[in-house]
Amino acid sequence: MKVPGVPRWLGEVGWRTAVGALLFGGIIHIGATLAVPLAGSGTAFARLRDTLPVNRMVILPPPAPGKQPLPYLAPDALYAMCRYDVSVDSLMVTALMADAGWTLSMHTPQGDNFYVMPAQPQRRAEVLLTLVPGIDRLGEFVAAPRRPTSTDTQVPSPSWEGLVIVRAPLRGLAWRAETEAALRRAACTPVKRQ
Amino acid sequence: MLAVGGGLGTAWYMIEAGSRLSTRSSGPWVTWSTAGRPDADPYTRAHIIRNALLPISSTLELSYQAKADSRGGRLNAGCEYAIVVEGLDGGGWWSLAAYDSKGGLIHNAAERYAFTSDSVMREPDGRAIITLARDARPGNWLPIGGSSRINLVLTVQDAAWAAAAQEGTAKPLPEIQRVACR
Repeated sequence: MKVPGVPRWLGEVGWRTAVGALLFGGIIHIGATLAVPLAGSGTAFARLRDTLPVNRMVILPPPAPGKQPLPYLAPDALYAMCRYDVSVDSLMVTALMADAGWTLSMHTPQGDNFYVMPAQPQRRAEVLLTLVPGIDRLGEFVAAPRRPTSTDTQVPSPSWEGLVIVRAPLRGLAWRAETEAALRRAACTPVKRQ
Repeated sequence: MLAVGGGLGTAWYMIEAGSRLSTRSSGPWVTWSTAGRPDADPYTRAHIIRNALLPISSTLELSYQAKADSRGGRLNAGCEYAIVVEGLDGGGWWSLAAYDSKGGLIHNAAERYAFTSDSVMREPDGRAIITLARDARPGNWLPIGGSSRINLVLTVQDAAWAAAAQEGTAKPLPEIQRVACR
């Protein structure tokens, strides 16, 4: 039977071939989707890797046309970024969360945000965190992470490397110097694991 | 050939544009539901990596992108648009920024690229009216000249809003009204 609108060659394709093609297309679809994260060359981490020193907080210049470190980075904010590596030492992160919209976030090289702290009125403005390797990252020959004290919080990182980002929204040009001064208090410092 | 093309094409579409499995929409605004989260689905993860994004977990902050106005027309620098922002200030923070189609900032002499809940001027009733246009406009003027196609990004940082949005109970996002075109 001829179906109107269907090309003749398609009508000659057997159902086994059609099902096989669908299955093969599905495998290609799943493979392509899962392969994108494995390629990894275009990630935000890969793009920033060469410009950010290891375990040091750097304040980036304000985003401007043609000078954005990453696409879709909020233009109305200043950023401090620290590319961390906790394979040898842990990392102490300090920051002042000065105003609404400020965030301290931590990301894996794949962009997963495994920790975020927004500025909130009921929280202390000064933040002190220690970034340590996650339990599954600690081999039996690696010493256990520092024990938390009453004044700092330990955050386990699911990866050896990653990014710590402090985002400071600008309320306007008049507040820029004040915002920058507050952002300069952000730091990341390697600390020996005990 | 058809199977390979179909597999690659659908993968590309699901990663770039998303679907109901991975995104939520409110009018022309689209957000990736699990962006930034370690339990993100493979499409969201691929989208984040392919576009070199560093999203904050969608449990706290949602980034909505709009490529079209509320009537479905592609956002274009040759047109003027009005966006009335209201109902986003429930203890949170928001930002509205304009980019070109690749996520780059649009050059303009005023060096203005975004408005936030802190920097926007409000009407007496608390609403904020933002005008997107190539040439200067009174009030909250966001310049969009120099780029033919534009993308808008509305970022809302509010854990309560994010929870409501995930449940589908959040208030509708602002409409993007096309005022005029050249």
